[in-house]
Amino acid sequence: MAGEFVHQKSRVLILTFIFSESIFFAFLITAFVLYHGRSAGGPDARNTLDPIRTGIYSLILWASSVTVWLSERAMRHLSITRSKRWLEVTILLGGIFLVGQGIEYHGLFAKGMSVETDLFATTFFTTTGFHALHVFIGLIVLLIVRGLTVAGFGQEEYQREGFIAASYYWHFVDAVWVAVFFIFYIWGTR
Amino acid sequence: MPVTSALQAHSTLDQPIVHLMIVVLVIMSAILVLVTTLVIVASIRFRQRAGMPEPEQNFGNPKLEMTWTIVPFLLLVSIFVLTVITMAHSDPSKTTAAGDDLSPDLVVSGHQFWWEVQYPQAGFTTANEIHIPAGRRMLVRLIGADVIHDFWVPELSRKMDMIPGSPNEIWLLADHPGTYLGTCAEFCGDEHAWMRIRVIAQTSQEFEQWEQSQEQTPPPPTTPQAKHGEQLFRSMSCANCHAVSGVSSGRVGPDLTHLASRETLAAGRLGNNPVNLEAWIHDPSNFKPGSYMPNASLKPEDLSAMVAYLETLR
Amino acid sequence: MSEVPVALPVLRKLQRFEHEGGMLSWVASVDHKQIGILYLVTSLIFFLAGGVEALLMRTQLIVPENRFLNPSLYNQIFTMHGTTMIFLVVVPVLLGLMVYLIPLMIGARDFAFPRLNAFAYWMYALGGLLLYFSFFAHDAPAAGWFAYTPLSEKPYSNLQGMDYWALSLLVVGTGTIATGLNVIATIASMRIKGMSLRHLPLFAWMSLINSFLIVGAMPALNAALVMLLVDRQLQGNFFKPAAGGSPIFWQHVFWNFGHPEVYIMVLPAFGIISEVIPVFSRKVIYGYAVVAGSTVAIALLSFGVWAHHMFAVGLGHFLDLVFAASSMLIAVPTGVKIFNWIATMWGGAIRFTTSMWFAVAFLVMFTIGGLSGVMFAVVPIDWQLTDTYFVVAHMHYVLFGGTAFAVFAGIYYWFPKFSGRMLSERMGKWHFWLTFIGFNLTFMVQHSLGMLGMPRRVFTYPNIHTWKVLNFVSTIGAYILGVSVVVFLWNVIASARQGRTAGDDPWDAWTLEWATSSPPPVHNFDYVPPVRSARPLWDLKHPEDTDWERARKRQRNGR
Repeated sequence: MAGEFVHQKSRVLILTFIFSESIFFAFLITAFVLYHGRSAGGPDARNTLDPIRTGIYSLILWASSVTVWLSERAMRHLSITRSKRWLEVTILLGGIFLVGQGIEYHGLFAKGMSVETDLFATTFFTTTGFHALHVFIGLIVLLIVRGLTVAGFGQEEYQREGFIAASYYWHFVDAVWVAVFFIFYIWGTR
Repeated sequence: MPVTSALQAHSTLDQPIVHLMIVVLVIMSAILVLVTTLVIVASIRFRQRAGMPEPEQNFGNPKLEMTWTIVPFLLLVSIFVLTVITMAHSDPSKTTAAGDDLSPDLVVSGHQFWWEVQYPQAGFTTANEIHIPAGRRMLVRLIGADVIHDFWVPELSRKMDMIPGSPNEIWLLADHPGTYLGTCAEFCGDEHAWMRIRVIAQTSQEFEQWEQSQEQTPPPPTTPQAKHGEQLFRSMSCANCHAVSGVSSGRVGPDLTHLASRETLAAGRLGNNPVNLEAWIHDPSNFKPGSYMPNASLKPEDLSAMVAYLETLR
Repeated sequence: MSEVPVALPVLRKLQRFEHEGGMLSWVASVDHKQIGILYLVTSLIFFLAGGVEALLMRTQLIVPENRFLNPSLYNQIFTMHGTTMIFLVVVPVLLGLMVYLIPLMIGARDFAFPRLNAFAYWMYALGGLLLYFSFFAHDAPAAGWFAYTPLSEKPYSNLQGMDYWALSLLVVGTGTIATGLNVIATIASMRIKGMSLRHLPLFAWMSLINSFLIVGAMPALNAALVMLLVDRQLQGNFFKPAAGGSPIFWQHVFWNFGHPEVYIMVLPAFGIISEVIPVFSRKVIYGYAVVAGSTVAIALLSFGVWAHHMFAVGLGHFLDLVFAASSMLIAVPTGVKIFNWIATMWGGAIRFTTSMWFAVAFLVMFTIGGLSGVMFAVVPIDWQLTDTYFVVAHMHYVLFGGTAFAVFAGIYYWFPKFSGRMLSERMGKWHFWLTFIGFNLTFMVQHSLGMLGMPRRVFTYPNIHTWKVLNFVSTIGAYILGVSVVVFLWNVIASARQGRTAGDDPWDAWTLEWATSSPPPVHNFDYVPPVRSARPLWDLKHPEDTDWERARKRQRNGR
């Protein structure tokens, strides 16, 4: 078998998957851009979104990209304990971001806004909702990795490859948020 | 029934499309004949015969392969050029030389499953049949009232979608008087099949006469039976959906002001005569099960009265 | 599989099923060959369902103003026919061949991710059942397979059929993407030594490119479905004109998926033809690099042609022309292949097995579909003929005359490998001729119907003489096609039980799947011959005239 390739199969898989998922998000974001400014009278990005508060939560999410990288690097160097600590920080940061988004949603619901309100609301909740779902799935994956380390995960190379693949996925959800944040919160509210 | 054909043009706007179609069909047929011949010749000539050794292995010939890449490419380039020219001729601009929008001569709205036809300049509305003066280009605005429909009269012009929220415009022209059949060409629900339209091109004199008659409110019914019918029309739910000038102003179903002067009923489903009209009102779902026209459950004498009244709407 | 934490008793049980054989082994299996067979059998079942739907439609249309089906039922049936044939038959039957054959062709033990493979199949099976369950949940979807908004929105399709439709396609689509990812990862990482990309069998090449199309196109469908579901279930506004939403946006997103999907349904068929024609012509494929390279060109272009489905929307002449140009361009690399296949036959020693009959017929049938496709790239012709029976004829020449003929060629070719037994050639000839005659009778006349102004998706039509005659002919053709399917089924069932024993390599073929027993053992190969060219078994059988020595000579001569 083509030995050197076999271990990279997880990376091939996850990168192709990320390519596929990016296209999915591209269409959701396109819907927002296309419909931007068509919600006359109703809530829109400018009168609804708070780029500063969400900006802080965004920084927290992006920081988790750094910590997951540190964790993954530590695992590659077989410092499993250090890897575990950084992984925990990552999960915590991701969790904080989700809580922040929950708070934002709660505030919008309190103002009487929901998916059906207008085009902005529809595109906003759909895109951020699907992003949050991806963050949530990413958190579950990272939690599984964390759980497996109890049973000695990380000793074998294919296990480390698996973790690298998981970390790529985590970088991806952060990267999607870069697009969402700058388009919805910065371009949309300018 | 008159025949329709996309290979027949009765309009100088459609003529270039038909010409292009014939040219392209000839080219495509030639290619098909070439490919089929090659396949058949190869199949017969190079059939394996008993005791044949393995044939010479030929891995390809870049020059030959380049040839059958470039020749089709050039052919397509020329078809593309013809496409550009034909588009300009068959679907000319809908603005003035200065770039201003022209106002439409006709506004056609597609409804599930009928056509609303407005003449904005004369200010009247009719349904399912479009009268145009032969030889005059009419600018038609196309509107989707509920779902997407598509206006298509093959022998007169291109087809064009009628999309809710984004009106389109086309030029409609018939060179000579005549009746031209068309149809809704975008699947629009249960009765898509029976959303047919006809364009009736008339001499300009006939057209003007028709226009004048359409502008008039039909005279009130005179016979007692027809009077009874009118009363029923007003008192039952008919008037909620159907407009009759001077009587009702419903906009849900087709305008019936001059119903009796039309050639067909229910968007081409039935020929328009008293027998069919009675059968239609008696049980619309028998003819067009997906239609929104309800069964009014009229008593036989009321049904006759209703038909008598509707027949006065000329 | 060593990485499975087998502590879970359930998993252990499943693994036992897998090894003990029997019916349950099929449920528990992660073996690509078993999953491939599952794909093929399931898609055959859905093919029968879609075929019955087609016959019901043709029966309704046999005479004008027929009352055999009411319009609502007819619309459900044509929607189900289209959805079934595309998502539950054509794509999965090709995936089934890919799943079965790719590891064998590249000399691998299995897929890169065997369990993902099983997951993908079961998603497909589940999604298919979900779609068909809609019949029992009061109504099947009825807005057509491209579900144009706002017709597919709640106000105009208020029963649950559309929701079942969208959900089932999300599930099926997830499975399809999973297989696409798996094929890419497998071909990227599991090829045997010597199997460079230049030595990959063309079927594997086409499958690889196809997988990139799947991975790139399916998310557009998923996005469209998600937006439709948000509209339908949460009262969203994506495609609601009253709220400023745009029905045209649906079309853009949908066809961003829909057009690459056409190539997803055709590229593996090209792959089959590129295997079958050389073997039965006893000649190497003519222009290997051109056949593979032109496919890459098709794949790239296929993402830039979607709006040719929208020439009647009124996007303006400029956009229409841009998409006309790209759509005409994509015909070039497609046409090239036809000529390369003919050149492969030319100078060969052709053996007319049933498989080869289907492959040769494919060349002509697919050419007809391709040429009528070019006609739709010519915008003014599209303005006349789109949404008529001409489209129905065109796409059936591509998907039936093209893909289905190729799949039959492939099944007659690989059935011996799958089962260890040959399909009956005598019944095969019957099957071929009935299919060929029935197919052309059904669909050739539909070109004329479209030209004569008959729109597609109509449950009935007015009594116009020409329409009446042509529709009658078309329906008779469909019945013949129905009979041909029965002959095929009979052949498969009878031959699987008592067909002639095949042996490892009944066709004297050249790719690796023929280097192992029929059917192959669980681990695929006891021994894989050395791979130095795209035809390792040719090299093995003709040590005096190997492909790799020729390649070396050609290189030395500077060609």
